Amino acid sequence: MNLKIADFFIATFTGGFVALVVFLFHPTNMALAMVQGGLIGMAIVLPLKLLLMPIFGAFEVAIPLGIIGMGVGMTAGMLSAIPDISGYTVIAWGDCAGLLVAIIIYDSNKHLTQS
Amino acid sequence: MSAKPYDSAAKYFDLFRAGDMRRWGQSQQALFKNLKGKVLYIGIGTGQEIVNFPPQLDITAVDLSYEMLRRSETRVQNYDGRIKRCQMDAQTTAFADNSFDSILTVCVLCSVKHPVPCLQELKRVLKPEGELLMFEHVLSHNPIYALILKSMSHITEYLEGTYLDRDTVSNVEKAGFKIHSHQNIYLDIVKALIARH
Repeated sequence: MNLKIADFFIATFTGGFVALVVFLFHPTNMALAMVQGGLIGMAIVLPLKLLLMPIFGAFEVAIPLGIIGMGVGMTAGMLSAIPDISGYTVIAWGDCAGLLVAIIIYDSNKHLTQS
Repeated sequence: MSAKPYDSAAKYFDLFRAGDMRRWGQSQQALFKNLKGKVLYIGIGTGQEIVNFPPQLDITAVDLSYEMLRRSETRVQNYDGRIKRCQMDAQTTAFADNSFDSILTVCVLCSVKHPVPCLQELKRVLKPEGELLMFEHVLSHNPIYALILKSMSHITEYLEGTYLDRDTVSNVEKAGFKIHSHQNIYLDIVKALIARH
């Protein structure tokens, strides 16, 4: 598989996975859920980085996953604290946010490597 | 500087760098085309980059780690040119002044303890008309990327003695080189640089 295409899949999967785990363990207080979500996100991406970096490249994995871990973790935590929100919505948010991070990095990389 | 962490890392080195090699192969080939004459290759490691070298070069390759040098054996033998290997610290090489036409570093300046004295040592052994070619990762100027690199640097420093927060471009200039060519390979983190006296 083209490694640049793989970047988008990795980011989308990681976003969704972080959101799922954060949703499963969220507290009801939104501020607490945000902090806990960020911490859970960062903890999850650490082993994922170690697993994926040898296959897909160190920085190409570490940078997006670093952003997704904390960013998606915090926002998914806040979303999860909303009463009656479905887990699917939180996971969909995680997937979309992960994909968005990959798109922004792709664009940033294109800009920086062509200048 | 101790070779021990690198000796320990040698066993897993090819595995850890496999993804990077897939990503950076073409960019390395483009940079390595500039190698000419007598070449000093700093930090050969297990020799993963040898496959990207143009043929028929006369290379002297050094590494601090005996274990890394030992594992580079097959790649060195398969190279269509001459590679002589020496176990040596890049910060205190045993070469005479003005010995080499080109010097190459690939992800080395992130690992040496004191990059500026190391670069000054490379300047000493490089001929006045020679070129220093570097394929290195540096600290990003983007604050978000920089934050991630700085936080990861604590882990990589502990695990394998690699610093992710080095400002190699300015270190090269501090050592007295002039940047001749500067290309970003991935974001503004991985760079291909050519410097001259």
